[in-house]
Amino acid sequence: MSGIQIILLTGIAFITLYFLTRLHRRAVDIIVLFLLISCAVVFILKPELTSRLAAKLGVGRGVDLVFYISILIIWFVLIKLYARIRSLEENYTRSVRENALTHAMKLPGSSEV
Amino acid sequence: MSNSLSFFIVIPVYNEADIIPEVLLGLQVLGYTGIIVVDDGSTDNLRYALRNFSIYFLRHEKNLGQGAALQTGFEFARSLDAGIVVTFDADGQHQAIDIAKLTEPIISNTADIVLGSRFLSESTEGISRIKKIILQIARLINFIFSGIYLTDAHNGMRALNRKALGLITLRENRMAHASELLFEIRRHRLRYMELPVTIRYTAYSKQKGQSAIESVKILFDLVLHKLFK
Repeated sequence: MSGIQIILLTGIAFITLYFLTRLHRRAVDIIVLFLLISCAVVFILKPELTSRLAAKLGVGRGVDLVFYISILIIWFVLIKLYARIRSLEENYTRSVRENALTHAMKLPGSSEV
Repeated sequence: MSNSLSFFIVIPVYNEADIIPEVLLGLQVLGYTGIIVVDDGSTDNLRYALRNFSIYFLRHEKNLGQGAALQTGFEFARSLDAGIVVTFDADGQHQAIDIAKLTEPIISNTADIVLGSRFLSESTEGISRIKKIILQIARLINFIFSGIYLTDAHNGMRALNRKALGLITLRENRMAHASELLFEIRRHRLRYMELPVTIRYTAYSKQKGQSAIESVKILFDLVLHKLFK
């Protein structure tokens, strides 16, 4: 096993551990996670597989194929995250607004114009 | 007010304690009483600055942005059964004397919403060249996004009738709300109209006003709004 394989596999092990202990536990998420992890592990251990796949898809090198797919995945994750931030902000706004409306007051004032 | 409709002025405020008394006095002198100040999480001593004024006061505990403050003001005005709502900036740029002109089409029921425009009047005082150019670009962008081509892209002075007040919902918390307002006008097929208002660019408002960078942020918010609504 080469150095890069050890580094990548260790990284994946940590991500998996983090995900399982800290993040969602919905069945769909876990299935998707395991699919991704098994793909990653297979491709790390057998890099020549990506080259064969790349050739079938008309991409030069296996690394390029992985790179293109990674970009797609990263965009997907970014958009998901952004949508989540927006919905969080909406909830936050709603709560601040409700608070403001509940505590609305009529200031008495003292000066007459 | 000369009409029977209940009339309110919504003023979103963020750290304008120094200038707000002057703005409120200007409104009071002309006899405007139904004033709703929405404090968007100011960190200066706004409450103290307002102590002499008889107004409705609402406070966002945290700063959300001008769009959010306006929406809060709208919802409060709705709860008071407002017939007419005018939005007014807190930084002293707007002239109280323009309010009567702006509400005329609402009272005569020829428009649901009237938008102030600084470019319809000759009296735009002290506007900078770069600001002019940015506003021209913003007009075009608003047109591309909303199909409404206005003479002014971003004017905080507007008058709404009960129908517009009931239908318009601003979800853009920050400055993109000015463009979102146009989407809402379009979506609800509201009758709109632009009328000239005077914007006074004082040293204070220039310093408080938005920079060119800010307009890039607005564009970014707009694109995301269209993608994620």
